[in-house]
Amino acid sequence: MTALYESMFLLDNAVVREGWDKAKAVVTDTLQKHGATVTTIRRWDERKLAYTMRGKNRGTYALCYFSMGNEHIAAMRREFDLNERLLRYLILRADEVPATENELAAAEHASDFTVPPPPPDDMVEPEDGPIGQGDMEPQQEMMVPDLDEEGMDDDRPRTKKPEGKPSTEV
Amino acid sequence: MAGSRRPALPPINQASCADHIPNYKDLDHLRKFLTAHGQILSRKRTGYCAQCQKALKQGVKRARHLGLLPFVG
Repeated sequence: MTALYESMFLLDNAVVREGWDKAKAVVTDTLQKHGATVTTIRRWDERKLAYTMRGKNRGTYALCYFSMGNEHIAAMRREFDLNERLLRYLILRADEVPATENELAAAEHASDFTVPPPPPDDMVEPEDGPIGQGDMEPQQEMMVPDLDEEGMDDDRPRTKKPEGKPSTEV
Repeated sequence: MAGSRRPALPPINQASCADHIPNYKDLDHLRKFLTAHGQILSRKRTGYCAQCQKALKQGVKRARHLGLLPFVG
C-alpha cells in the first residue's frame, strides 16, 4: 500500500562540503532505489548537535516528503542504517505535505540558490544557557534548618558525646 | 519542622493546548516544557491535556534521537 512519509535526515557535514546536490543524492538515491517517489526535499538547517555522534559536533538536516509502498520500508531502513554518511534519520507517516513545504523546496531549484559551506566542526558558539525554560522561576529559599541557629534557640539538654576509650596497646 | 513544603508552581500552558500540538521540529516550543537538565515537565506543570502531553513526549523523544535536544543537560 502506497503511503506518504515525512522524513528527516542528519547528514555528515563532510558530505555537504562536497556539494549540496551530492549530499541530497545520498538520500534520494536510496529512496529511489526502493521505489519511492520523492515529493519534496530541502535543507532544513545546519546546527550544532545536542550531543556528539560518531565524533561529529555539527550536522546538516534535510527534510524530505516521499511516497512509497510500505512493504519496502524495512529494506530501505536497513540500507540507511548501514550508510556511514548519514548520522541519523527519522521516518514518519504523514497525512499531507504542508502547504509551505512545496514553496521552500522549490526555492532550492532557483538559479541563485547556494548552500553556505558548513562551519568547522569545532567552531565555538556562544553559550545557549539552560536547555529548558520550564523551571526558570526564581529558586525559592530552601527551608533547611540551620543547625547552628537551631542549636542557639534550642534549650533541650544536650547529651555529651561519649568519648572514645583510649586504645590500649599491649 | 513546619513550612518545609514548597508551594506548587503554576502550569506554563494556561491557554488551550489544542491549538498547537507539539512537533519535533518546533524546538523553541519544546524547550519551554523541559527543565534545565532536559527532562520533560509533568502534566501538572505543562498544563497539557493527556493527548497533547503524549505528543509532547513523542516530540521531545524524536528531537533527542535526531540530536536536536539533549538526553541529559
